[in-house]
Amino acid sequence: MAAEPELLPAEQAFRFSARALDDRTLEARFTVADGYYLYRDKLKFAVEPEAAGVATPPLPPGKVKDDAFFGQVETFRGEVVAKLPLAKGTPGQSLVLVADSQGCADIGVCYPVNRQKVTVVLPAAGKGPGPVVEAHPRKKSWFK
Amino acid sequence: MNPLRIRWILFAGIAAAALAAGLYFGRQGVTAPSDPAAAAALAGLALPDPQGKEQRLDQWRGKVVVVNFWATWCAPCREEMPEFMKAQTEHGPKGLQFVGIAVDQADKVSQFADEIGLNYPTLVGGFGAMELSKSLGNSLMALPFTVVLDRKGAVAHTQLGILKPDKLDSIVKQLL
Repeated sequence: MAAEPELLPAEQAFRFSARALDDRTLEARFTVADGYYLYRDKLKFAVEPEAAGVATPPLPPGKVKDDAFFGQVETFRGEVVAKLPLAKGTPGQSLVLVADSQGCADIGVCYPVNRQKVTVVLPAAGKGPGPVVEAHPRKKSWFK
Repeated sequence: MNPLRIRWILFAGIAAAALAAGLYFGRQGVTAPSDPAAAAALAGLALPDPQGKEQRLDQWRGKVVVVNFWATWCAPCREEMPEFMKAQTEHGPKGLQFVGIAVDQADKVSQFADEIGLNYPTLVGGFGAMELSKSLGNSLMALPFTVVLDRKGAVAHTQLGILKPDKLDSIVKQLL
């Protein structure tokens, strides 16, 4: 079998992390590896429990890419950050932020929709942002 | 040895093994060798076509079968399909058969197939089809992924990413 391109697993190509900015707002972040891109219209967020109700406000505009079949589609490269307001949050409450994303590698390979989750704890009122939680921490962090 | 120390050693052992596996697969790149049982599972596979009629892959037994996992949402997949159509026209009479397996929704598959005038059958698979491609060597479960089966149904080639026309040609000519 011939040599094939080296590729990252979806969760490494599209690293997802989040933190609670305050007891009413989550900040979701995708770090897209060089040579990869995400489709803007395929990014979806949800929280568990559902009662906390996360809204996905308009995402920042992406880079327009011409697609022969879908026409013009917007894509993200590098960092994508979205502030997600919660309908209902309680300081100290633990929430799971679920992110669905779909993207491709420039080399000519696409990944199906990938679901990643992080658990964040809402900080007490006036306590400032909580720590950044990565969905799939890098391996080197084991040795820290 | 105290239990804490044993736990530490165990942990370190597991961590080292996981890291080694990570490095190994990382360096290996993309496709792992396909499992012979997976080839048998592929041969016995039955999936609906876009009209909902079940089709068995073994109806093409005896031919050189090129199974292409694709989706309408996958731009590189759509890009290579016209080349597959040309190859189907050219080598079909000699016993080459392309079969698509779309990881997609039937209506989208049907619309796209009509749009490009697809000249070979495509079936519609869900995530199960993705799992099958994984056992055939598509460890990252990405698309397009193509498996070339010889006339006996054994895996002759697997390819993640676009299968270029000249490469396809040389593989197929050896098998026909």
